[in-house]
Amino acid sequence: MGFLAPLFLIGALAVALPIWLHRLQTQSSDRQPFSSAMLLETTEERVHLQKKLKYLVLLALRIALLLMIAFAFAKPFIDRPPTLLAAGDAGTHLIVVDTSVSMNRAGVFDQALEVADQAVGDAPSGALLQVLSADDSLHIGSNLSADTTDHRAALSRLNVSALRLDFGAVMTAVDRLAESLPPPVTLHVISDFQASAMPVRFADVVPSRVTDFVPHVVGTGAPFNWSVEYVRETAEGLDVGLLGYGDRERVADVELLVNDVVVETRGLSETGPLVLRFTDLPFEEGNNRVQVRVNTDDDLAADNESFHVVVNEPPASVPLITLNRGGLPVTYLSAALESNSGQNYVVEPMVIGEFDSRILGRYRWALIDDIGSIDAGLEDALIDYLQGGGNLLAFAGERAASATTLPLSGHQLSGASVGIGANEFLSPGQIDTGHPVLSQTEGWHTVNISRSVPIEEQADDQVLIRLGNNEPFLIERKIGAGRLLLVLNGLDNRWNDMPVRPVFVSFVIEAASYLSGASEISRTYVTGASLPLSLIGSASGQVVDPDGNTVLSLADTTRAQQINLDKPGFYEVYTPQDNTLVAANIDPRESQLVTITQDLLERWQDATARLDGITAGQSDIVEAEPLELWHWLLLLLAVVFIAESILGNAYLAPLAKANR
Amino acid sequence: MIGIQPSQSTARDLLHPEVLAGLKNLDLVARSVVEGFLIGLHRSPTFGFSQEFAEYRAYAEGDDPRFIDWNVYARTEKTYIKRFLGDTNSHLMILLDASASMGFGGPPVSKLRYGQFLAASLSFLAARQHDAVGCMIFDEEVRDYRPPSSRAGKLQGILHCIDSAEAAVGTRFDKPFDKFREQVSRRGLVAVISDFYCDAENLLAGVRPLAWHGQDVVLFQVLDKQELDPEFKNNVLLEDLETGKAVEVAPQFMREAYPERIRAHVDSLKTAAAGIGADHVLVNTSDSLDDALRNYLLFRQRRK
Repeated sequence: MGFLAPLFLIGALAVALPIWLHRLQTQSSDRQPFSSAMLLETTEERVHLQKKLKYLVLLALRIALLLMIAFAFAKPFIDRPPTLLAAGDAGTHLIVVDTSVSMNRAGVFDQALEVADQAVGDAPSGALLQVLSADDSLHIGSNLSADTTDHRAALSRLNVSALRLDFGAVMTAVDRLAESLPPPVTLHVISDFQASAMPVRFADVVPSRVTDFVPHVVGTGAPFNWSVEYVRETAEGLDVGLLGYGDRERVADVELLVNDVVVETRGLSETGPLVLRFTDLPFEEGNNRVQVRVNTDDDLAADNESFHVVVNEPPASVPLITLNRGGLPVTYLSAALESNSGQNYVVEPMVIGEFDSRILGRYRWALIDDIGSIDAGLEDALIDYLQGGGNLLAFAGERAASATTLPLSGHQLSGASVGIGANEFLSPGQIDTGHPVLSQTEGWHTVNISRSVPIEEQADDQVLIRLGNNEPFLIERKIGAGRLLLVLNGLDNRWNDMPVRPVFVSFVIEAASYLSGASEISRTYVTGASLPLSLIGSASGQVVDPDGNTVLSLADTTRAQQINLDKPGFYEVYTPQDNTLVAANIDPRESQLVTITQDLLERWQDATARLDGITAGQSDIVEAEPLELWHWLLLLLAVVFIAESILGNAYLAPLAKANR
Repeated sequence: MIGIQPSQSTARDLLHPEVLAGLKNLDLVARSVVEGFLIGLHRSPTFGFSQEFAEYRAYAEGDDPRFIDWNVYARTEKTYIKRFLGDTNSHLMILLDASASMGFGGPPVSKLRYGQFLAASLSFLAARQHDAVGCMIFDEEVRDYRPPSSRAGKLQGILHCIDSAEAAVGTRFDKPFDKFREQVSRRGLVAVISDFYCDAENLLAGVRPLAWHGQDVVLFQVLDKQELDPEFKNNVLLEDLETGKAVEVAPQFMREAYPERIRAHVDSLKTAAAGIGADHVLVNTSDSLDDALRNYLLFRQRRK
C-alpha cells in the first residue's frame, strides 16, 4: 500500500474539525454536574445513550468522509504482481533446454529431452510450468500453465539450432522473464554446460529473481571433436586451420571443395591444432564457394564443415568524369588505383557531353577530375546518383576556381583562385586521422600547395583536411544516401605536387575502399550474426539461404535493414547492382565441448539462491504494478456522504421540531 | 417563648446569601451577619448577649487573663475574673465539609460558600460570647484544623482557615470525627456543616462517639434549592461530583420521586441525630442565614 501523492494526506488533519465540533456539542449537551447520585435513579428510557450513540455514528461518518477525501487526493495504490496467475506455494518452474550446436552430439539432445520431460513430471502439483529453449537467445516453447500435456508437446517440438549458447544472455533473459512470474521461481537448465558458453563475468549468469537453480548436465564424458578453426586467403591459395579436441587419436580426412567440387583431400593422423595449406586452386571469376569438410566420426558432426567465400573478380571499372580523356588526372588516378594489391580498379574516362549519365547507376562510386566542369544536366544526374546511394570523389581544378558556385556541393567561392606566391607553399595542417579515408595515410605534410580554391564553409560540411592558413582542403558532404568527397585542389602540378607524392596513392586507394563500401563488407560470418543490407548496397533485392529458400523477397528487402544468418552455409544476396555471396559458419566456441567444473556449477547454484534472498523483496517494490484505489474511494465517499446526510438530517429534525 | 423579633429590614438584608456573595472578606461577612442578626434580637439576659456584670470568680488556671479585674487586684491583691450574664465560657468546634459535593449549587453561592458564611458567622458569634472557637476543614481527610481558643487574635486565623476551604474530593465522616475526638478532650458544642450525602447509619457511627464523649452536636445540613426542588424539563445526564458516576434521569422522576427521596433522607438524618441527642438543622442556601443562627442560639440555650 502506498500513496502517489502523499502530501495530500495533510488534508486528513481536517478530521480535527468535526471532532472539535462534536466535542463542543457533547459538552454543551444535557450532561450536568450534580452534588450526589446517591438518591438518583436511572430512567428506563436511555435517551441520552441513544443520542450519544447517534452522535458517535455521525462523528465517525464525518471523519470517514474527510479521511476519504484526503486519501482520494493522495491517490492510494496497492502493489500487486503484474500477472494474475496464482501459483500458490508451488511457485513457477522454468524448464530451459539448451538447443545450441553442441547439443548435436550423439544422443545428447535426446537425453536432454528425457531429462526435461522428467522435470515436467516431477514438478509439484499446482506448480506453473513453462518450457523454454536457449541458444543465442531465449525462446518460449510453451505458455505458463500447470498442464503438463502442453509442456511435453512443446518439448517434442524442440530442435537443435546452429547457434551458440551464451549463458550470460540466457540468464539475463530468464531474470527478466521471472519478474512477471509468481514466486518462488525454480529454474531447471538442461544443457551440456560448455565452459565456452560462460561469460567473462560470473555475476552475469546469476539470476536475481530465481529462487532455486537446478542444473541438469547432459552429455558428460571425454569428448572427441574435430573442427575447422579458420580459412584464410593467401597469395598462393588458402590456409585452413584445424583443431582437434580429445585425447583419443582418430584419423580424419579433410576435403577442400571449390564451388562444390572436391579439389583436394588430405588425411589427418593426429589431433591438435593443424594448418593445411592449399595452393593453385581453380578459382573462377567472381565469387567462389570454398568448403572445408572434415570426414570423421567425432562426437559433434555439425562443426565438421566450414564455408568461405573467395572473391576472384576482375578489376572493377570506375568512371572518371572529365573534359579531357588524355589529361593528367586520368594518368594520376589510373596509376594510383591500379597499384592497389587488393581490389583492382580500371579507370574509365568518360568525357562530359559524350556519355549517357544513366549508366552511372552501374557503379558504386565515380571520379570527377574538376567539379567545375560539370554542366547543369550532368549536375542533376549526379545529384540523383548521390541521392540513390552513389559516391563521388571530386577534385576542384581550373574551372572550379573560375566559378562563383561549385556544382553539386553549392559552395560559394570566397574569392578567385588564390595564388599563394611564386615561392610560397602551403601544406595540410589539420588532418582528421579518425576518418577511414585518412586513418591509413601518412605524409600529407610533404605535399606543397601553391594555389587553392577558397570556399565558404557550410554547416553540413565535414572538413577532413585544412591547410596551414585554415582553408578547407578536403571535405565530405552527405547528399541523400551518398557521399561526396571533395578535394579543393586540382590534379595539376602547377597547383600542387600531391599527385607525385606517395600519400596520393594511399589516399586514392583508401578513398576507393571507403566509397565503394568494400572495407565494410565481410564475406564470412558466424551463425546468429546479422548481415546489414545497406552495406551491400541493396535498396531492394533478394536473399537466398543455404537451403535455397528465399529469406527476404524483393519487397521485404526494401523494409528490412538486416537479415539473420542462422544457418551455416552460403547466403546469396541478389541486388540490381550486384550479386553478393557471404558465408556463415558455426561459432568455433561451440566446438569446445569441455564442460564447466562441478565446483563452478555448485557456486552458481549457491550464488543464485543467495542473490534471490537479497533481492526478493526489492523486486516486488521496484517492479510491482500499482493498483490505484482512488476511484473506489470516491464511490465509497459518495455512499458515506449520503449516509451522513441522512443521519445528520434525522438528528437535526427533532431539534428543529423542538425549536418550533 | 423565644424572644426573637425581626427588626430593621436594611440590616437584615445583609443576611441574604446573594448579598453576602458580594462581600469578599469573610470577616466582614461574619461581622455583617452577626450584627444584622443581633439587631433583630431583643436584649434578653436569658440569651447571654448582655454585657451586664454578673459576679466575680477567683481566677483559675486556664482562664483568659484579659478578663482579670485589675481594679480588684489593686485593692485586694487577689485575682478575680469578672463574669457577665451572657458568658458561658464554653467551646464551639465547627466541622466544615469541603468535599466535592459541597461545591454544587448557586447562584448566588455554592453550598460550600454558604457553609463558609455560616461557619464564619458562628465563629464570630461565639467569639463575641467569649466562647473558645475552633474549626476543622475535612473531606475524606482532615484538611485543616484550628484548636478551640478564646483569644481575640485567633478568630482571624479561624476565619482564614474557613475561607481557604475548597471543594475537592469525596466525603468521609469517620476519619475527621476520630481526629476531632483525639484532639479535643473538653466538652463543648460541635457544629457540623455538611450536605450529609451519606447513609444515616454511617453518619451516626461517626457522631455517636462524640455524643458519648459529652459533646453537644448540631448538624447543619446545607442543601441547594436545586437539590430540594429540582427543575428539569428534559432527560438529563447528572454526573456525581464526587464519584463521577453519571445517571440519566427523567424529568418526571426529578419532579415526583426525587423530592420524596430527599425528604426521606433528611428525615432519616433528623431521626438518627435525635437518637443520639444531636440537633439537625436543614439549611437551604437560598434562605438567609438568620434561621441557622437562630437555631444555633436555641441549641446553645438548650444546652446550658
